Amino acid sequence: MSSANNDTTVDTEAIREVLDANRAKMKTALRVCAHCSLCAESCFLFHVHDGDPRYMPSHKFINSIGRLYKKKGRVDREGLEEISEIVWRRCVLCTRCYCPLGIDIPEMIALARNICRSQDVYFQWDQLEQPA
Amino acid sequence: MYDLVRGPFVWVAFIVFIVGTVYQVVRFYALSRETSPFRLTKPTGGPPKTEAPPAEPVLTFGQRMRLSIAGTSPVMITVTTVFHVLLVLTPIFVLGHNVLWDLAWGVSPPSLSEAFTDVLTLIVIAGGVYFLGRRLFMARVRAITSAYDYAILAIATAPFITGFLAYRHIFDYDTVIILHMLAGEIMLIAIPFTKLVHMPFFFINRFLLVHENTFGAGGTRIWR
Repeated sequence: MSSANNDTTVDTEAIREVLDANRAKMKTALRVCAHCSLCAESCFLFHVHDGDPRYMPSHKFINSIGRLYKKKGRVDREGLEEISEIVWRRCVLCTRCYCPLGIDIPEMIALARNICRSQDVYFQWDQLEQPA
Repeated sequence: MYDLVRGPFVWVAFIVFIVGTVYQVVRFYALSRETSPFRLTKPTGGPPKTEAPPAEPVLTFGQRMRLSIAGTSPVMITVTTVFHVLLVLTPIFVLGHNVLWDLAWGVSPPSLSEAFTDVLTLIVIAGGVYFLGRRLFMARVRAITSAYDYAILAIATAPFITGFLAYRHIFDYDTVIILHMLAGEIMLIAIPFTKLVHMPFFFINRFLLVHENTFGAGGTRIWR
Protein backbone atom coordinates (compact mmCIF):
# COMPACT_ATOMS: atom_id res chain seq x y z
CA MET A 1 0.00 0.00 0.00
CA SER A 2 2.46 2.55 1.13
CA SER A 3 6.15 2.25 1.20
CA ALA A 4 8.66 5.05 1.29
CA ASN A 5 11.18 3.16 -0.80
CA ASN A 6 11.32 0.24 -3.20
CA ASP A 7 13.80 -1.71 -1.14
CA THR A 8 12.57 -5.31 -0.99
CA THR A 9 14.62 -6.47 1.97
CA VAL A 10 13.33 -6.55 5.51
CA ASP A 11 15.62 -6.03 8.49
CA THR A 12 14.43 -8.96 10.59
CA GLU A 13 16.93 -8.15 13.33
CA ALA A 14 15.56 -4.64 13.76
CA ILE A 15 12.01 -6.02 13.99
CA ARG A 16 13.10 -8.60 16.51
CA GLU A 17 14.67 -5.91 18.68
CA VAL A 18 11.35 -4.09 18.96
CA LEU A 19 9.57 -7.40 19.60
CA ASP A 20 12.05 -8.37 22.32
CA ALA A 21 11.74 -5.01 24.03
CA ASN A 22 7.98 -5.51 24.33
CA ARG A 23 7.92 -9.27 24.64
CA ALA A 24 6.31 -9.53 28.08
CA LYS A 25 3.26 -7.49 27.34
CA MET A 26 2.82 -8.89 23.86
CA LYS A 27 3.14 -12.50 24.94
CA THR A 28 0.67 -11.97 27.76
CA ALA A 29 -1.81 -10.22 25.49
CA LEU A 30 -1.66 -12.97 22.87
CA ARG A 31 -1.92 -15.72 25.45
CA VAL A 32 -4.68 -14.15 27.51
CA CYS A 33 -6.90 -13.36 24.51
CA ALA A 34 -9.64 -15.98 24.78
CA HIS A 35 -10.80 -15.32 21.22
CA CYS A 36 -14.23 -14.44 22.59
CA SER A 37 -15.00 -11.63 20.10
CA LEU A 38 -16.58 -9.43 22.79
CA CYS A 39 -14.36 -6.55 21.65
CA ALA A 40 -16.17 -6.43 18.29
CA GLU A 41 -19.06 -4.22 19.36
CA SER A 42 -16.73 -1.60 20.84
CA CYS A 43 -15.14 -0.77 17.46
CA PHE A 44 -16.96 1.84 15.40
CA LEU A 45 -15.24 0.63 12.23
CA PHE A 46 -16.67 -2.84 12.88
CA HIS A 47 -20.14 -1.29 12.89
CA VAL A 48 -19.46 0.91 9.87
CA HIS A 49 -18.37 -2.15 7.89
CA ASP A 50 -21.53 -4.10 8.72
CA GLY A 51 -19.88 -6.43 11.22
CA ASP A 52 -17.00 -7.49 8.98
CA PRO A 53 -14.90 -9.67 11.34
CA ARG A 54 -11.68 -8.21 9.90
CA TYR A 55 -12.51 -4.98 11.72
CA MET A 56 -12.79 -6.68 15.10
CA PRO A 57 -10.06 -5.33 17.44
CA SER A 58 -8.85 -8.83 18.36
CA HIS A 59 -8.68 -9.86 14.69
CA LYS A 60 -6.56 -6.76 14.00
CA PHE A 61 -4.03 -7.30 16.77
CA ILE A 62 -3.79 -11.07 16.25
CA ASN A 63 -3.08 -10.60 12.54
CA SER A 64 -0.62 -7.74 12.95
CA ILE A 65 1.54 -7.93 16.07
CA GLY A 66 0.48 -11.54 16.65
CA ARG A 67 1.69 -12.50 13.21
CA LEU A 68 5.01 -10.68 13.68
CA TYR A 69 5.48 -12.32 17.10
CA LYS A 70 4.69 -15.84 15.90
CA LYS A 71 7.00 -15.52 12.91
CA LYS A 72 9.69 -13.93 15.13
CA GLY A 73 9.86 -10.95 12.80
CA ARG A 74 10.45 -13.05 9.70
CA VAL A 75 8.04 -11.41 7.30
CA ASP A 76 8.64 -10.20 3.78
CA ARG A 77 7.77 -6.77 2.50
CA GLU A 78 4.45 -8.00 1.19
CA GLY A 79 3.62 -9.23 4.68
CA LEU A 80 4.50 -5.85 6.14
CA GLU A 81 2.28 -4.16 3.57
CA GLU A 82 -0.60 -6.41 4.65
CA ILE A 83 0.06 -5.56 8.29
CA SER A 84 0.17 -1.85 7.52
CA GLU A 85 -3.20 -2.20 5.80
CA ILE A 86 -4.56 -3.60 9.09
CA VAL A 87 -2.94 -1.16 11.51
CA TRP A 88 -3.60 2.02 9.51
CA ARG A 89 -6.62 1.39 7.32
CA ARG A 90 -8.65 -0.88 9.60
CA CYS A 91 -7.73 0.91 12.85
CA VAL A 92 -7.51 4.62 13.55
CA LEU A 93 -6.21 4.15 17.10
CA CYS A 94 -9.20 5.85 18.64
CA THR A 95 -8.52 3.68 21.74
CA ARG A 96 -12.21 3.03 22.37
CA CYS A 97 -11.94 -0.77 22.11
CA TYR A 98 -12.91 -2.78 25.14
CA CYS A 99 -11.43 -6.11 26.19
CA PRO A 100 -13.12 -8.03 29.02
CA LEU A 101 -9.75 -9.51 29.94
CA GLY A 102 -8.02 -6.14 30.01
CA ILE A 103 -5.77 -6.50 26.97
CA ASP A 104 -4.42 -3.14 25.80
CA ILE A 105 -5.29 -3.62 22.13
CA PRO A 106 -4.39 -0.05 21.00
CA GLU A 107 -0.90 -0.47 22.37
CA MET A 108 -0.50 -3.68 20.40
CA ILE A 109 -1.61 -1.90 17.22
CA ALA A 110 0.73 1.02 17.97
CA LEU A 111 3.57 -1.45 18.39
CA ALA A 112 2.84 -3.00 14.99
CA ARG A 113 2.85 0.51 13.51
CA ASN A 114 6.27 1.14 15.05
CA ILE A 115 7.62 -2.02 13.48
CA CYS A 116 6.20 -1.10 10.08
CA ARG A 117 7.72 2.38 10.33
CA SER A 118 11.10 0.91 11.26
CA GLN A 119 11.01 -0.80 7.84
CA ASP A 120 9.88 2.32 6.00
CA VAL A 121 6.38 0.97 5.58
CA TYR A 122 3.70 3.40 6.57
CA PHE A 123 0.53 4.91 5.45
CA GLN A 124 0.79 7.79 3.02
CA TRP A 125 -2.37 9.82 2.99
CA ASP A 126 -1.43 11.70 -0.14
CA GLN A 127 -1.38 8.43 -2.08
CA LEU A 128 -4.80 7.44 -0.94
CA GLU A 129 -7.08 6.68 -3.88
CA GLN A 130 -9.84 9.22 -4.06
CA PRO A 131 -13.36 8.03 -4.72
CA ALA A 132 -14.47 8.67 -8.30
CA MET B 1 -4.19 -47.26 36.77
CA TYR B 2 -7.02 -46.21 39.08
CA ASP B 3 -4.69 -45.88 42.07
CA LEU B 4 -2.17 -43.91 40.06
CA VAL B 5 -4.75 -41.46 38.73
CA ARG B 6 -6.44 -41.13 42.13
CA GLY B 7 -3.18 -40.84 44.06
CA PRO B 8 0.08 -39.33 42.80
CA PHE B 9 -1.40 -37.77 39.65
CA VAL B 10 -3.80 -35.67 41.71
CA TRP B 11 -1.01 -34.24 43.84
CA VAL B 12 1.20 -33.61 40.82
CA ALA B 13 -1.70 -31.79 39.13
CA PHE B 14 -2.43 -29.64 42.17
CA ILE B 15 1.25 -28.82 42.72
CA VAL B 16 1.76 -27.88 39.05
CA PHE B 17 -1.42 -25.79 39.14
CA ILE B 18 -0.49 -23.92 42.33
CA VAL B 19 3.22 -23.47 41.56
CA GLY B 20 2.44 -22.54 37.95
CA THR B 21 -0.13 -19.95 38.97
CA VAL B 22 2.21 -18.47 41.58
CA TYR B 23 4.94 -18.38 38.90
CA GLN B 24 2.63 -16.45 36.57
CA VAL B 25 1.77 -13.96 39.28
CA VAL B 26 5.43 -13.50 40.28
CA ARG B 27 6.32 -13.09 36.61
CA PHE B 28 3.68 -10.40 36.27
CA TYR B 29 5.12 -8.53 39.25
CA ALA B 30 8.63 -8.79 37.77
CA LEU B 31 7.39 -7.42 34.45
CA SER B 32 5.40 -4.57 35.92
CA ARG B 33 6.12 -1.75 38.29
CA GLU B 34 4.33 0.29 40.87
CA THR B 35 2.99 3.58 39.62
CA SER B 36 1.67 6.58 41.44
CA PRO B 37 -1.90 7.12 40.37
CA PHE B 38 -2.58 10.30 38.44
CA ARG B 39 -4.99 12.39 40.46
CA LEU B 40 -6.28 15.86 39.77
CA THR B 41 -6.25 17.97 42.89
CA LYS B 42 -8.09 21.18 43.43
CA PRO B 43 -5.71 24.13 43.58
CA THR B 44 -5.78 26.02 46.82
CA GLY B 45 -6.54 29.76 46.79
CA GLY B 46 -7.67 31.10 43.45
CA PRO B 47 -10.55 33.44 42.68
CA PRO B 48 -13.41 33.84 45.16
CA LYS B 49 -16.22 31.34 44.93
CA THR B 50 -19.11 32.19 42.65
CA GLU B 51 -22.30 30.35 41.93
CA ALA B 52 -21.95 26.58 42.07
CA PRO B 53 -21.72 25.06 38.57
CA PRO B 54 -24.66 22.92 37.47
CA ALA B 55 -24.33 19.32 38.52
CA GLU B 56 -22.91 17.00 35.87
CA PRO B 57 -25.52 14.71 34.35
CA VAL B 58 -25.23 11.30 35.96
CA LEU B 59 -26.29 8.21 34.06
CA THR B 60 -28.59 5.88 35.91
CA PHE B 61 -27.51 2.31 36.59
CA GLY B 62 -29.83 1.07 33.84
CA GLN B 63 -28.40 3.51 31.30
CA ARG B 64 -24.85 2.52 32.16
CA MET B 65 -25.72 -1.16 31.84
CA ARG B 66 -27.28 -0.61 28.41
CA LEU B 67 -24.12 1.14 27.22
CA SER B 68 -21.84 -1.52 28.66
CA ILE B 69 -20.82 -4.86 27.20
CA ALA B 70 -23.72 -6.39 29.15
CA GLY B 71 -26.05 -4.22 27.07
CA THR B 72 -24.50 -5.01 23.70
CA SER B 73 -24.05 -8.77 24.30
CA PRO B 74 -26.48 -9.66 27.11
CA VAL B 75 -26.77 -13.38 26.33
CA MET B 76 -23.03 -13.94 26.06
CA ILE B 77 -22.33 -11.98 29.24
CA THR B 78 -24.95 -13.93 31.20
CA VAL B 79 -23.78 -17.30 29.91
CA THR B 80 -20.07 -16.53 30.35
CA THR B 81 -20.53 -15.23 33.89
CA VAL B 82 -22.58 -18.24 35.01
CA PHE B 83 -20.23 -20.64 33.19
CA HIS B 84 -17.03 -19.25 34.73
CA VAL B 85 -18.40 -18.93 38.26
CA LEU B 86 -19.82 -22.46 38.24
CA LEU B 87 -16.71 -23.88 36.55
CA VAL B 88 -14.66 -22.79 39.57
CA LEU B 89 -17.19 -23.32 42.35
CA THR B 90 -18.99 -26.56 41.42
CA PRO B 91 -16.06 -28.98 41.88
CA ILE B 92 -15.38 -27.57 45.36
CA PHE B 93 -18.83 -28.54 46.64
CA VAL B 94 -19.26 -31.96 45.01
CA LEU B 95 -19.86 -34.64 47.66
CA GLY B 96 -17.72 -37.25 45.88
CA HIS B 97 -14.72 -34.89 45.81
CA ASN B 98 -15.10 -33.99 49.45
CA VAL B 99 -15.23 -37.63 50.54
CA LEU B 100 -11.81 -38.00 48.92
CA TRP B 101 -10.49 -34.89 50.72
CA ASP B 102 -11.82 -36.33 53.99
CA LEU B 103 -10.15 -39.66 53.37
CA ALA B 104 -6.84 -37.96 52.55
CA TRP B 105 -6.70 -35.12 55.08
CA GLY B 106 -9.67 -35.56 57.37
CA VAL B 107 -11.06 -32.16 56.39
CA SER B 108 -13.14 -30.97 53.45
CA PRO B 109 -15.24 -28.05 52.28
CA PRO B 110 -18.99 -28.31 52.85
CA SER B 111 -20.90 -30.33 50.25
CA LEU B 112 -24.02 -29.55 48.28
CA SER B 113 -26.54 -32.26 47.50
CA GLU B 114 -25.57 -34.52 44.63
CA ALA B 115 -28.76 -33.72 42.76
CA PHE B 116 -27.95 -30.00 42.93
CA THR B 117 -24.32 -30.31 41.80
CA ASP B 118 -25.62 -32.54 39.01
CA VAL B 119 -27.72 -29.58 37.80
CA LEU B 120 -24.77 -27.18 38.16
CA THR B 121 -22.63 -29.58 36.10
CA LEU B 122 -25.29 -29.62 33.40
CA ILE B 123 -25.31 -25.81 33.36
CA VAL B 124 -21.52 -25.75 32.84
CA ILE B 125 -21.84 -28.28 30.01
CA ALA B 126 -24.64 -26.20 28.47
CA GLY B 127 -22.34 -23.14 28.65
CA GLY B 128 -19.66 -25.14 26.85
CA VAL B 129 -22.15 -26.11 24.14
CA TYR B 130 -23.08 -22.42 23.75
CA PHE B 131 -19.41 -21.43 23.33
CA LEU B 132 -18.93 -24.24 20.81
CA GLY B 133 -21.95 -23.00 18.87
CA ARG B 134 -20.56 -19.46 18.80
CA ARG B 135 -17.21 -20.72 17.55
CA LEU B 136 -18.86 -22.77 14.82
CA PHE B 137 -21.62 -20.49 13.64
CA MET B 138 -20.74 -16.85 14.39
CA ALA B 139 -18.59 -15.35 11.64
CA ARG B 140 -16.79 -12.96 13.99
CA VAL B 141 -15.78 -15.75 16.39
CA ARG B 142 -14.91 -18.17 13.59
CA ALA B 143 -12.60 -15.55 12.08
CA ILE B 144 -10.24 -15.77 15.08
CA THR B 145 -10.80 -19.43 16.01
CA SER B 146 -8.11 -22.06 15.58
CA ALA B 147 -7.87 -25.72 16.59
CA TYR B 148 -6.24 -24.51 19.82
CA ASP B 149 -9.49 -22.80 20.87
CA TYR B 150 -11.46 -26.01 20.46
CA ALA B 151 -8.80 -27.88 22.44
CA ILE B 152 -9.04 -25.34 25.27
CA LEU B 153 -12.83 -25.63 25.31
CA ALA B 154 -12.50 -29.42 25.42
CA ILE B 155 -9.97 -29.28 28.28
CA ALA B 156 -12.25 -26.98 30.29
CA THR B 157 -15.46 -28.96 29.79
CA ALA B 158 -14.13 -32.55 29.73
CA PRO B 159 -14.04 -32.88 33.56
CA PHE B 160 -17.70 -31.83 33.70
CA ILE B 161 -18.84 -34.08 30.87
CA THR B 162 -17.04 -37.12 32.31
CA GLY B 163 -18.20 -36.21 35.83
CA PHE B 164 -21.78 -36.10 34.64
CA LEU B 165 -21.40 -39.49 32.91
CA ALA B 166 -19.73 -41.01 35.96
CA TYR B 167 -22.42 -39.81 38.37
CA ARG B 168 -25.16 -41.20 36.12
CA HIS B 169 -23.20 -44.43 35.51
CA ILE B 170 -23.49 -43.93 31.77
CA PHE B 171 -20.97 -46.13 29.91
CA ASP B 172 -18.51 -48.27 31.87
CA TYR B 173 -18.15 -46.56 35.26
CA ASP B 174 -14.59 -47.77 35.94
CA THR B 175 -13.34 -46.33 32.67
CA VAL B 176 -15.33 -43.09 32.89
CA ILE B 177 -14.18 -42.30 36.44
CA ILE B 178 -10.53 -42.71 35.40
CA LEU B 179 -11.16 -40.46 32.40
CA HIS B 180 -12.88 -37.97 34.72
CA MET B 181 -9.92 -37.79 37.08
CA LEU B 182 -7.46 -37.55 34.19
CA ALA B 183 -9.53 -34.78 32.60
CA GLY B 184 -9.55 -32.80 35.85
CA GLU B 185 -5.81 -33.24 36.28
CA ILE B 186 -5.12 -32.17 32.72
CA MET B 187 -7.23 -29.05 33.23
CA LEU B 188 -5.40 -28.09 36.43
CA ILE B 189 -2.01 -28.54 34.78
CA ALA B 190 -3.13 -26.62 31.69
CA ILE B 191 -4.37 -23.54 33.56
CA PRO B 192 -1.04 -21.75 34.14
CA PHE B 193 0.52 -22.65 30.80
CA THR B 194 -2.20 -22.34 28.16
CA LYS B 195 -4.89 -19.86 27.18
CA LEU B 196 -6.66 -20.94 30.37
CA VAL B 197 -4.20 -18.59 32.09
CA HIS B 198 -6.86 -15.94 31.43
CA MET B 199 -8.38 -17.23 34.66
CA PRO B 200 -5.65 -15.83 36.98
CA PHE B 201 -4.71 -13.03 34.56
CA PHE B 202 -8.24 -11.68 34.48
CA PHE B 203 -7.79 -10.53 38.06
CA ILE B 204 -4.31 -9.12 37.41
CA ASN B 205 -5.28 -7.29 34.24
CA ARG B 206 -8.58 -5.95 35.47
CA PHE B 207 -7.73 -5.12 39.09
CA LEU B 208 -3.99 -4.39 39.27
CA LEU B 209 -3.07 -2.79 35.95
CA VAL B 210 -3.91 0.87 35.55
CA HIS B 211 -6.09 1.46 32.50
CA GLU B 212 -9.42 2.84 31.51
CA ASN B 213 -11.40 -0.22 32.51
CA THR B 214 -9.64 -1.09 35.75
CA PHE B 215 -11.94 -2.55 38.37
CA GLY B 216 -11.78 -1.78 42.06
CA ALA B 217 -9.55 0.96 43.43
CA GLY B 218 -8.10 1.90 40.03
CA GLY B 219 -5.00 -0.28 39.89
CA THR B 220 -1.48 0.32 41.12
CA ARG B 221 0.82 -1.17 38.49
CA ILE B 222 1.88 -0.64 34.89
CA TRP B 223 4.08 -2.69 32.57
CA ARG B 224 7.77 -1.91 32.73
